Amino acid sequence: MDRVGIIKREKVWWVPWAFLALPLLMYLIWVIGPILVSLYYSITFKDSIFYPKGVRVVWLRNFIRLATDPQFYLALKNNLIWLAFFVIVPVPLGLFIAMMFNLEYKGSRLYKTLFYLPMTLSFTVIGTIWAWIYHPDFGALNTFLRLLGFESLGSTPWIGDKRYMTFALVFVGVWRQVPYVMILYLAGLKGVPVELVEAAMIDGARWGQRFRHVVIPLLAPATVVAVTISIIDSLRAFDIIYVMTNTKARAAEVLATYMYSSAFHYQDYGYGSAIAVVQFIITLGFILIYVSNVLRNELQQ
Amino acid sequence: MKRLLFFAVLSLVVMGLLAACGPKTEKELVINSYMSDQAPKETFQKVVDEFQKQNAAIKVTVNTTAHEQFKTLLGSWLTSKDAPDVVTWFAGYRMQAFAAKGLLEPIDAVFPGGSFEKEFPAAFKPPASYKGKIYFMPQSWYWWAVYYNKDVFAKLNLTPPKTWDEFLALCERVKKAKLSPIAIGAKDTWTAGGWFDYMDTAVNGGPFHQQLTMGDVSYTDTKVKETFGYIAELSKKGYFIPNATSYSWQEAAKLLFDGKAAMYLMGQFIKDVAPEDKKPVIDFFQFPYVGGRTEYAVDTPTDGFMVPVNAKHKLAAKKFMAFLATKEAQEMFCKPLGRLAANVNVPVPNADAERGLAMVKGASFAAQFYDRDAPEEMAAKGMNAIIDIMATPDKMDDILAALDKERERIYAELK
Amino acid sequence: MEQVMVKKQSGKRRRPALVAAFYVLSTLLVAVWLMPLVIALFTSVKSMDELMGNAFMWAPPRKWIWQNFAEVWQRVGMSRYVLNTFIITVPSVLGTLFVSSLAAFALAFYQFRLNRTLLIMFIAGMLIPFQMLMIPVFRLSDLVGLRDSYPGVILFHVAFQLGFCTFFLRNFMKQIPYALMEAPRMDGASDFLIYRRVILPLSISSMAALGVLEFTWIWNDLLWSLVLLQRDVLKPVTLGLANMQGEFISNYNMTAAGSIIAAAAPLLVFLVFQRFFISGLTVGAVKG
Repeated sequence: MDRVGIIKREKVWWVPWAFLALPLLMYLIWVIGPILVSLYYSITFKDSIFYPKGVRVVWLRNFIRLATDPQFYLALKNNLIWLAFFVIVPVPLGLFIAMMFNLEYKGSRLYKTLFYLPMTLSFTVIGTIWAWIYHPDFGALNTFLRLLGFESLGSTPWIGDKRYMTFALVFVGVWRQVPYVMILYLAGLKGVPVELVEAAMIDGARWGQRFRHVVIPLLAPATVVAVTISIIDSLRAFDIIYVMTNTKARAAEVLATYMYSSAFHYQDYGYGSAIAVVQFIITLGFILIYVSNVLRNELQQ
Repeated sequence: MKRLLFFAVLSLVVMGLLAACGPKTEKELVINSYMSDQAPKETFQKVVDEFQKQNAAIKVTVNTTAHEQFKTLLGSWLTSKDAPDVVTWFAGYRMQAFAAKGLLEPIDAVFPGGSFEKEFPAAFKPPASYKGKIYFMPQSWYWWAVYYNKDVFAKLNLTPPKTWDEFLALCERVKKAKLSPIAIGAKDTWTAGGWFDYMDTAVNGGPFHQQLTMGDVSYTDTKVKETFGYIAELSKKGYFIPNATSYSWQEAAKLLFDGKAAMYLMGQFIKDVAPEDKKPVIDFFQFPYVGGRTEYAVDTPTDGFMVPVNAKHKLAAKKFMAFLATKEAQEMFCKPLGRLAANVNVPVPNADAERGLAMVKGASFAAQFYDRDAPEEMAAKGMNAIIDIMATPDKMDDILAALDKERERIYAELK
Repeated sequence: MEQVMVKKQSGKRRRPALVAAFYVLSTLLVAVWLMPLVIALFTSVKSMDELMGNAFMWAPPRKWIWQNFAEVWQRVGMSRYVLNTFIITVPSVLGTLFVSSLAAFALAFYQFRLNRTLLIMFIAGMLIPFQMLMIPVFRLSDLVGLRDSYPGVILFHVAFQLGFCTFFLRNFMKQIPYALMEAPRMDGASDFLIYRRVILPLSISSMAALGVLEFTWIWNDLLWSLVLLQRDVLKPVTLGLANMQGEFISNYNMTAAGSIIAAAAPLLVFLVFQRFFISGLTVGAVKG
């Protein structure tokens, strides 16, 4: 079945461009423009962008320093940990929860609404409260563990110890990401045309096969968005780490926090911009791989 | 389709025009403040209202932004086309860095009697100036000292120590009683900055510490290592609270209030978060003397105001600054908040402040604070290093060597 | 999807074990997931003295001080902040939904050389960490004179969200069968009419979901309001909440109360619009 609508009209080539004119204009001015300026900052010296006398360009010096900076590699490593967890956990879990809450039981709508709530709270509050949950001596988690008898586990400083920090923070990130993915899949599930599924059913396909061969492909748009967003959010993670480590991430440092510290705490906007550029390239790399794959699959259909 | 496009672009243009030409009054004063706490914010508004009353022709607006966000935006505001007319800030290197870039307006003339020293302490002049001109108007300041829980001391029959040896002995007694001698909220790294300032000035004197924050002394210098040795000793003996890095400064303060910790080297604002019933239980003593020294130094972080060079209403700004410098305005702000005013003619607000002031007056040297005296990056990495040394005292030499490399790079870039 | 399951179950009686499993699992899931929010509620009704007096900061309150909410609403000015946030968020969401649907339509249904490149470009705009764009955006709005104004913030949000929204809508639009476009076109309808009368109505479900997500996102935005707004009278809830953080002192209870008030709006929007993108009991009887 031809689900893809392709319109080739040489005579009226300008039609898509007419539609794109306004969005493109706005996007170029407000997003691409600032990104290019940011790129420019990455080759300037420290905070010389604030010198009334003039900006000092140092070309690749910031990048060279970055290449031998252990904190940068630590941040990169942590981001990869975030990436791994963000792709593996929220997407299947969000799908499972969306499907479960979609069942025709009474109260499922209430469950959906309640599950959406974590997305509505500000990061400041989320961060503060999770810090209270994670506190080694008085936190909710350790108190609970000690009640269950896990004395030593129940004294772990989850966000005080460099071995656990990133994982504890990733957990909070995932906690917040799952409702997000659930919403995406709820929308996706609604868009699944019943006729198709019924047709497959009439063919007698077994439930498992039906799921894999009919439902999953129909959920493709939601999945693509969910995975893309999870990749991007994991590599761009900032707020949770910023709030829960009181802006001094260090062992839990990720690229975004390191960039922020460099620019706004160390007054080195040049270096911060360089980190941003590197992060951008890395994320773009992952996205290109994934999206190209998806686009190729689309064409095949 | 074309119609749609046309209207879209038109509406964009119209919106832009509307926004760009709003009424711009000549006589206006825009103040950007970081006093987001309820009490200072309301008190400052009263001061502004008084100014407004005396100057009905000027429309005054105060814009408040929380501290952390304020610091992030200040640089952008100062270089903006539409810079605010007055901004709050602190004295010391952090202000001088902006002056060095030519972003501040000199305000020598706004002080009562036309000169700084007439009503302001001479010691405050250096951190408020740059290359001979004054750019900063001090308003209020506070001190740091060792705060302690009187009930805990009474229970263990302790008295505030005068020397380092007495201090160590006291810590040991507290530890034996299964309490924590020293609380510290190391999640907020600046708590370590306080320890560094006081320890270093106690061991090596104020002027040496000043050279250090100016970047002229290496962190691997024997004298600096001596300072860190003292701090490391406290850590090795287990005198700091366990898991200090999991506590924010405020959460650690609770341990002091609850009597689980005996002492806390902290700023005077610690009393602001004490529960009502615990306020009378908390008192302070001066940081102990080390190695037979008879002189001592204090940290006196000073808050105040500056005028950006890009301000649109400089006349109004200077008028406001002159108003803020008067005894009346300073008293109006500091008295309800229990803070010490920079203007020497303002009476001391309460008994606590009197003792604090006496302590400061007796000091031979006053610093702002580690992260206000040194460039921000240096202070940030320095405070991280202190906390690392507290956590792993055996790695002290390596930590300091790495820190010194950073020092060289940071101060070299400043030139 | 759910009709399939219903059909399956109508074939056999709904096994009580399955029903029980659903409720137990769902309740457990929600309970665990919402625990931090419950703690937020506890915090919002405590006094600072109680918070500072008890080491277990997450414990249920001894005294429920509901006045905290009133105080945050009036004294701290939440009422004004909430109004401001609506003024900023609603036009932004509507604006970005509209503008991005234009771009998504073009990218989904037309084949032209730069199609793929443009899609990547829209995605690429989401990749850069926002904090790095703070200063360029500040300077841009400063230059244009749009700084410290509502139109400035709204325009920015509309433009900034285009990346994600275009990507999202384009993906969902691709699902619409081409046949639905062919018929009107053969009748001579203009492309814009097809967009308006055929594609948009078919995209209601994805646009509603997107709208809810965007509303939540823009409503909770701190960074851009911080960069683009200076005057206190314009500030949204996020800045109001941030301002409750003093230089040293955090008023946990007020911040929690303020956050809960702030969370009410996205929740409301979700409740109102969920029927558009969540299959509910309204979605038909079993087809026979």
